[in-house]
Amino acid sequence: MPPWPDFEPFIVSGLALGGVYALSGVGLVVLYRATGVLYLAFGAVGAMGALIAWSLTQAGAPGWTGWLACVAFAAAVTLGYGVVFGPALAARGPLVKAVATIGLTLVLYGLMDLLWTTSGGEARSITLPTDNSGFVVGQVQVNWTQVIALAAGVVITVATGAFLRYTKLGTAMRAMANDREITATLGVPVRRVEAAAWLGCGVLAGIAGLLLADLVALDATTLTFLVISSLAAVLIARLRSIALTFAAAIAVGLLHDLLTPITSVTNYRDMTPFVIAAVGLLVLSRHRVMAQSREEA
Amino acid sequence: MNRGILAPSARTLIVVAAAALAAAACSSTSSTTTTPPPATTSSAPSTTTVSTSQCGTKPGVAATGTPIALGGIVTDQPGTSFTDIANMANAYFACVNANGGINGHPIKYYIETEQTNPAQIAADAKQLVDTDHVVGIVGNTSIIECSIDSAYWQKLGYFIIDSGIAPECYSTSNSAAVNMGPRYSSDGAVQYALAQHVSKIVFDQSNVPGTGYIAAGPNALAAAASVPITDLTENVPISDADSVAIKEVDDAGPNGAVVLNFTPPEALVILQAAQKLGLEDRVKLWGCSTPCNTDFLAQSLGPKWNDKLFVNAELTPPDVTNTPTMNLYKAILKQYGSAVSGGIGSFSQMGFTEAEIAVHALESITSGTYTVATVNAAFEGVTDFNTGMLCQLWSYGNYALHIPNNEDYTVTPDNGKMVTAQGCTLISAVDPQIAQYRSAAGTAALAPAS
Amino acid sequence: MGRPQLIRWAVIAALLLFTLFGLPQLFSLYYIDSLTQVAVYSMVTLALGVLVGRVGLISLGQVAVLAIGAWVAARLLFATTQPYPLVLLEAGLVTMVAGTAIGLPALRLRGLYLALITLMLAGAITVVLATVNFPNGGHGFTGYNGALINIPPIRRPSVAGADPAYFRYSVLIAALMFLLVLAHIRTRPGRAWAAIRQSEPAALAAGINTWLYKLWAFALASFITGVAGGVLAGAVHYLYSIDFPTQDSIILLAVVLMGGAYSLWGAVVAALLYQFLPALLNNWGVSADWLTILFGLGVLQVLTTAPAGLADQVPKDLARLGRLLLRLRRPPAPRVPSQGGTA
Repeated sequence: MPPWPDFEPFIVSGLALGGVYALSGVGLVVLYRATGVLYLAFGAVGAMGALIAWSLTQAGAPGWTGWLACVAFAAAVTLGYGVVFGPALAARGPLVKAVATIGLTLVLYGLMDLLWTTSGGEARSITLPTDNSGFVVGQVQVNWTQVIALAAGVVITVATGAFLRYTKLGTAMRAMANDREITATLGVPVRRVEAAAWLGCGVLAGIAGLLLADLVALDATTLTFLVISSLAAVLIARLRSIALTFAAAIAVGLLHDLLTPITSVTNYRDMTPFVIAAVGLLVLSRHRVMAQSREEA
Repeated sequence: MNRGILAPSARTLIVVAAAALAAAACSSTSSTTTTPPPATTSSAPSTTTVSTSQCGTKPGVAATGTPIALGGIVTDQPGTSFTDIANMANAYFACVNANGGINGHPIKYYIETEQTNPAQIAADAKQLVDTDHVVGIVGNTSIIECSIDSAYWQKLGYFIIDSGIAPECYSTSNSAAVNMGPRYSSDGAVQYALAQHVSKIVFDQSNVPGTGYIAAGPNALAAAASVPITDLTENVPISDADSVAIKEVDDAGPNGAVVLNFTPPEALVILQAAQKLGLEDRVKLWGCSTPCNTDFLAQSLGPKWNDKLFVNAELTPPDVTNTPTMNLYKAILKQYGSAVSGGIGSFSQMGFTEAEIAVHALESITSGTYTVATVNAAFEGVTDFNTGMLCQLWSYGNYALHIPNNEDYTVTPDNGKMVTAQGCTLISAVDPQIAQYRSAAGTAALAPAS
Repeated sequence: MGRPQLIRWAVIAALLLFTLFGLPQLFSLYYIDSLTQVAVYSMVTLALGVLVGRVGLISLGQVAVLAIGAWVAARLLFATTQPYPLVLLEAGLVTMVAGTAIGLPALRLRGLYLALITLMLAGAITVVLATVNFPNGGHGFTGYNGALINIPPIRRPSVAGADPAYFRYSVLIAALMFLLVLAHIRTRPGRAWAAIRQSEPAALAAGINTWLYKLWAFALASFITGVAGGVLAGAVHYLYSIDFPTQDSIILLAVVLMGGAYSLWGAVVAALLYQFLPALLNNWGVSADWLTILFGLGVLQVLTTAPAGLADQVPKDLARLGRLLLRLRRPPAPRVPSQGGTA
């Protein structure tokens, strides 16, 4: 077991990783609460937006146009998907809706490899202006992008939680996510609420995509399938509590990195999100059966 | 109720059409043939304008005889794609075909792509042999193909010219590579670090097949120099580069070296994480095997890594070399290489070199018959060939194993480009495989700069 | 058995004979190799179809289970000289125990939660596999020697060494697995599963031990997938952990839904989509990325318009097309009372 000072830099990097998982996880839960769909294409949409931003920057456009393009693209694709497939799958269970988003993920994943190839050894990266300044904590440097990511996670958690609970539009979204038909009979303008939900979530995916591309890697495979690890935090919160998702994500990131210096388990540390999710879910469900209403495959 | 995306009858027609297409295709015989791209006139003149017609024996005369079929298998999946190597070889063949061919015969190059799936790779080999009737295999570049197909090629008598990665590309009698592969390239990087008198080496590589085989080389070198070495592996793609960078730097210490063996995107992520954490100066130097040798990496990394990162380079640096062969390479790339996405760089250089060797071997066949037996005898017979892209002369030969490229450069980033930090240096024979090869084949004479 | 049943069995037998003896004559080795993969994965899609279609349990971890089966088979094939069928049986049994142990605590969960927890468990197994690696002829428990310069191939049965012979072998094993599932469906487990799928509380009220039958489904699916892993080991000769990524389990579920989770034919269709279509497109020079896009579109299309999958929908579509063609050839007959029931 390594001495305590060896663990210190990993606390910093663990918090940063937790911030990454939190951005992704909170985004997934917010989408789920607002639309009833576990939007597994969250990572792919953000990744493609980030690649578009990269291409614009390479072509000489100023940085902020790239960011705008990224968010606009993510919003447009998510809105398009939601408006077309939301009503089509409204009567199916949450699992079918989640699997349908996998369809979108695969389409985007294939497109990304076609358009941004790696056949010449290309290595791409996005840098945000906040990357180069920061402050020192212990032995390592923390840059402002990481702080922004964590702060964004907190802000999104608080703001969307409050929005969904206290505003009229938010309540309408939650009602629609629960049961579209009954909500429609209550006189709620379902198409408009639906569009607002998906649009908002698309913007979220774009912002998260940009930050994740900077913090993790500008690589289609990495960013697309980051959602799988982020699902751990989502599962522990049972797809309900945004705040719990945030906390669980931070915990998972911290634990993952704190295992790094322990040589006997360091090769297995990538299991951390999966083991925590499995154990957590089994512990949480030991007294009752967990299900959602009306699941049909 | 929604009608859905496609009305049922339309969907049925599509299904029937697809089935008909499938039935028709099953009887089709050809696999992916790349028709040589049409020659485009070069617009901007290069520093030394070279006519591409040098590539063939009869400038300007298009080859019209019966084609000589060659084949190649390359990995093409998200994150790891070697199609540039095959496409550049194809560009070279196109040039030759436009300038006399091989004794009037054009070369037809069949490229099979794979996604690291053993069944698919085995099937690709059979496609090339049974359906496309290729007489030679050139340009294979795959994470596992040499392991999967080596016995099959041996049984049929094919001598492969490839850019190797798997152990069998370097340890069997019927595969000779133009590059050094991950083990010997890592040897080169570690050797350079040891020459700078570091007190510890941390060798980190991606967790793809063959890590033990790859690490054995650096371990032997470090042991001979009495320098402690730690072997690490990381699952790719890396989603948490911060912890990887911290771990490496902590282990290496201020007088140590961190040597990486990753594909360019993964290596970039680790190095950038080290820079963002402020760790790049916490070790004496950073090293990397050949995949890092791209200008893309140099541009993305920035000036902090000048003379800090030392990359092993298996091929002659193109930017600073002004020899006829290098200029021919650039000219062919410009005129025929529209499918080569990476432009000038080690991938296209490897493709050029492999095609060059193959054409040289084919041109040496005097009998005029191009069968599996004659072509592969010619491939095996290549001796002391000056490719113009390597430190040494290249030979195939009749040996139990082949490591014909075993002398390399070291390059370092310099404001967006990779520049030479050390010229041609032999890989140390402390690596037992290198020793075994050299005892069989000797050390090839240094290639003259032409 | 009534006449329609006899006819149906005769057709299936004829198809099987054609597959065994006709296909190897018609196709090149390239396609035979890919059809062997279809046979292997038809067992995997069959197992997943039982879970998803018959019982209503969604598992997103089947590729990890397949990896376990392949690992056990490879280890035994390298370490012992046991006959191949015995190795397959052992691989199936070990995988059955592992799959049941995993399924046991997860049975308290349903629907999306069950799917996601199986995904998490699969992710964990994948990481372990990346570190432990597949056996490659080395010694010790893991049987993995990372420094090997020449890796030995996993052996095949002595009667089925060549590719066409191994193709027949795989098809026979797959046929056995299909018969095993059919036996289950026609007897008590099948009825219990149907009741559970319809409504679990009602099944409980009817006195069915739902917990036992759900566990039985997991055990059966794991056994079949384990056997499939063994056949896969012999087919490919070399196993690598990078060939069993977590996301493949998600794509597997997608193709099973596309092919049709309820019908046994759906399992074959799913396997053809998963293994034969890529080989076909690769041969036509279509980049694998287009196939990924095609799959994505296919998933979206099928989920929105053909809930029971292609195996159910295509016959209906073909029948509709047939009627359309008939109506085009001759004017519609005057209305007579129809017998009811569609194709």
